[in-house]
Amino acid sequence: MDEELLELQRQFEFAQQAKSSIRLSERNVVELVQKLQHLQIIDFDLLHTVSGKEYITPEQLRLEIEAEIRRLGRVSLIDLADTTGVDLYHVEKQAQYIVCNDSSLMLINGEIIMNSYWDTVAEDVNERLQECSQIALAEIAAQFQVGSELIVTVLEPRLGTLVKGRLEGGQLYTPAYVARVNAMVRGAARGITVPMNLSALWGLLQSLLQEMEGASGVAVGGSFFQSLFNGLVKDVQILGSLRAGVHWTPNVFATAQKECVDSFFSQNSFISYEALHKLGIQQPIQFLQSRFHEGIPLATTFVHPSMIEMLDAAAEDAIERGSWTDSLSVLPASFLPEDASKILSLCPSVQKALKSNNALLLGDSYVFSNGFVKDLFDRLEKEMETLPLSVLDLHPAKAVKFGNESSGDLAESTETGSESGFSKQVLEKGSKKKKGKSLGNTKTVAAESLPDNQESVSTKSKKNQRKGKATSSSQISDSKSDSRKDVEKMKEDDLTEFSKERLIQKILTLVPDFEDQGAYNPETVLEPLANHLRPMLLSSWKERRKVALTGNAQKMKQLLDTLQRKLDESSLNMQLYEKALNLFEDDQSASVLLHRHLLRTQATSMVDILLHHLDMHNKMKLGIEVADFQNVEAVSLSSGERIAIAKSFPGPLSVKAVAVVEALEGKVSACWLETRSLLLKQIMPKKIGEVGPLFCSLSIFREAFVLHGSKYLFLFLHMFSGLILKKLDKKLDRTLLHSYRKDLTSQVSAETDPVSLLPKVVSLLYIQVYGRALQAPGRAISVAVSRLKDKLDDSAYKILMDYQGATVTLLGLMSAATGDEEDCTSDRILSKKELLETLMPALKGLVLRTS
Amino acid sequence: MEGWDPNTKSALTKIPLLLTKAGPRDGASWTQRLKEEYKALIAYTSMNKSKDNDWFRISAANPEGTRWTGKCWYVHNLLKYEFDLQFDIPVTYPATAPELELPQLDGKTHKLHLNMVLLSNLYSYYSILEFKEINSVFLLSFSGSPRFGIAHALCLGLAPWLAAEIPILVDSGMIKHKDDVASASES
Repeated sequence: MDEELLELQRQFEFAQQAKSSIRLSERNVVELVQKLQHLQIIDFDLLHTVSGKEYITPEQLRLEIEAEIRRLGRVSLIDLADTTGVDLYHVEKQAQYIVCNDSSLMLINGEIIMNSYWDTVAEDVNERLQECSQIALAEIAAQFQVGSELIVTVLEPRLGTLVKGRLEGGQLYTPAYVARVNAMVRGAARGITVPMNLSALWGLLQSLLQEMEGASGVAVGGSFFQSLFNGLVKDVQILGSLRAGVHWTPNVFATAQKECVDSFFSQNSFISYEALHKLGIQQPIQFLQSRFHEGIPLATTFVHPSMIEMLDAAAEDAIERGSWTDSLSVLPASFLPEDASKILSLCPSVQKALKSNNALLLGDSYVFSNGFVKDLFDRLEKEMETLPLSVLDLHPAKAVKFGNESSGDLAESTETGSESGFSKQVLEKGSKKKKGKSLGNTKTVAAESLPDNQESVSTKSKKNQRKGKATSSSQISDSKSDSRKDVEKMKEDDLTEFSKERLIQKILTLVPDFEDQGAYNPETVLEPLANHLRPMLLSSWKERRKVALTGNAQKMKQLLDTLQRKLDESSLNMQLYEKALNLFEDDQSASVLLHRHLLRTQATSMVDILLHHLDMHNKMKLGIEVADFQNVEAVSLSSGERIAIAKSFPGPLSVKAVAVVEALEGKVSACWLETRSLLLKQIMPKKIGEVGPLFCSLSIFREAFVLHGSKYLFLFLHMFSGLILKKLDKKLDRTLLHSYRKDLTSQVSAETDPVSLLPKVVSLLYIQVYGRALQAPGRAISVAVSRLKDKLDDSAYKILMDYQGATVTLLGLMSAATGDEEDCTSDRILSKKELLETLMPALKGLVLRTS
Repeated sequence: MEGWDPNTKSALTKIPLLLTKAGPRDGASWTQRLKEEYKALIAYTSMNKSKDNDWFRISAANPEGTRWTGKCWYVHNLLKYEFDLQFDIPVTYPATAPELELPQLDGKTHKLHLNMVLLSNLYSYYSILEFKEINSVFLLSFSGSPRFGIAHALCLGLAPWLAAEIPILVDSGMIKHKDDVASASES
């Protein structure tokens, strides 16, 4: 056993005896802490780290956080949670506490940032700014990873101290840069002499800057320029006025403008707004009014009162002279009619004259003295009087048109026009009805005549079907439409008589002055004048027409009465003669001959009377003076005249009248009957209304007439006249016969011509023998004489026969005679005449004796 | 040496290695060896003490230092389980590892029974306890390395075994705490 081993043994023993150091496990510690907390020995919050191995008091955590902040200047909470090893929740809580208690700290977007950090940032920014002379805020914000708003709020208080620069529209600039740009702006602004939109200017400057700095140059915002510009304006470095923030008007321009306006206005004492517009003045009236208080604004120009004085003098002169003037000719050429009218209304003399009705303003610019217009009107009216009234017949529609043109107040004039038209119609109609017969009033009957026409067409077509002819129907309808057209046309023509053009022409011929005005179109003055005169002329014409109408009304009544009377007369005569024809019914040829004769003599005169009266009536209705309508006893018209008159009738009446005439001449006999009936029906609607059913029988007669020719014309006439005219009763018959006989007797006794004596004697004999009035043509005399054979005694008959034979031979010789030759025929004629003359007393005695 | 738990590993590295390769029969060499053994044990013990991990007491039972006796213990559920420890230094030491014996646990478990000769049978034992690889390494290194001594054997062999085996034995009721035994005998 050596010492060393023992020593070691001892040492080992000692080592084993040594007290071992006491160590607590983590678990024990946790349990202990919990126990302590449970016993409330630890009475504060105790935090533990994320690893769970450490406890930390909030104060300690706060201290650690503060230390971290002071170290770094800017710490994110997440980083703090990592470095302290404490849950983020507690870190946030403590961080908020710290930030609340320390004004130099701020908590932004989960980061705690010290003020001093911002100072360093500002220094950084300043350094960079001095290098680059401009930095965008967005760039800085991106660099420091903060919001640009935050950067702005941080940088703004440090501008001028830490950051030597200027913040403008999201950009930082160095003063040098600002000064340079400012100089640019000033230069540009001073260079401008006309109004300009500043944003356009900024665009130019921007591109200029970019050129200077190359591609690296940051775009400078327009607002930067604008603020610089505003500063310059405020410092009165540039002169001018700014409108709406962008419209820059340099003082130079404004002065130039004003000078220009001033000089023009003072030289010409007027200036047009257009000129101001050209000078760039947007609201010329306000501009001028503020500058020239005494000036007067017109529609397109601005004038000095002296202009009014000048015009006033001209107008006054024209008014006093009883003449007219065109204010445009006095005013400068640039004046428009609106200006003229306005300036005229301002002239004191014109105002006065208008007030006292001494002057008339027409067509904006024309001043007419009342005397001139009156004179013109009188002359025109005189001219108008020469016009026949008939052509001035106006359709109500046309009147409306007139109204429109003259006044322009459409609704009112239409109303009045149509009203007056209607009332007139009604009046006429009423008066006609009162009289019991109304001669064709085309206006009123226009509507009525339509169904009539239809009726006629239908009856006719019925007839035509039976006849197997389909011509006349279409003819009628054609003629009808034609006539309508004619009427329209006629009215158009009437209108032209009063149309503006005509009026203007007339004025031109009356007042040749207008022509002399030469330089401009005379229409411009004449048209308003014509427009002004036209309604006056129309009304005066209407008045005249009305007077004429009322005057004619009485005459028309008389006319109608005469017509009725005459028709009665002749129809009675006709009936009388017709009776005599009954004697010849057994002799066909003689009967036809006689009938034709009757038709030619009596019916012709009837139709003539009818047509004549209708013509006069028509004229009267149109207001034409018909001097002596009473002296129409002896009318005899040629067929050409008849047609002319018939055609002169208005509208459907004309067609019918023409048909009547044609029928009379045996052309379209059927038509004649029909149209005559219609004609009568139209002019005497009242009577027709009463005998309406009888027209059925009329149509039957019509057919009979067509079948048997002219023989039935008489029959029909008899029937027809009997219906509408006076009926031939016995008493009347006798008186008529008596008067006829008396008449004849006196004629016979006075008769010296042997040839014409014979028919009269024969007629007288018929009256004596048969009590009937016979009208026979020469050719029928022999038949008539032979018929008397039975009734007369032989001697008388012999005388008659002898006379008749002698007459026949005489006539035969006369017709055979060549006239101027000296041969035996003339001798023989003479001898025969002598013979007849010797026989005449016997013949006369024959008749006169018996009577 | 990988595969050891970090505590064991760090402890092992702190135990000084033995330089002399000699067995009990080598006379002065063995004395030298014994001195080194003592140094290693002192180092290990002091290390355990400093870590509050003191778990055994041993002393040489004879002057030659070929027989050692003492105690070892383990704390489980705040209860200290203490066992007698004894072993002999085999003559072929250090080529042959000493057989550590816990007589109180003899017969308590077949494993224990088999493994009273701990180091020699360490392989099979730890295989069951899934220390197979660890111990095979240890066994190989130990057996192939004469520089490991008693301290190493305790550190590498007995300490892990106690940590692994005692809780099982306690839970299965094979061993009881001495207080419980005492109270049971009293009653």
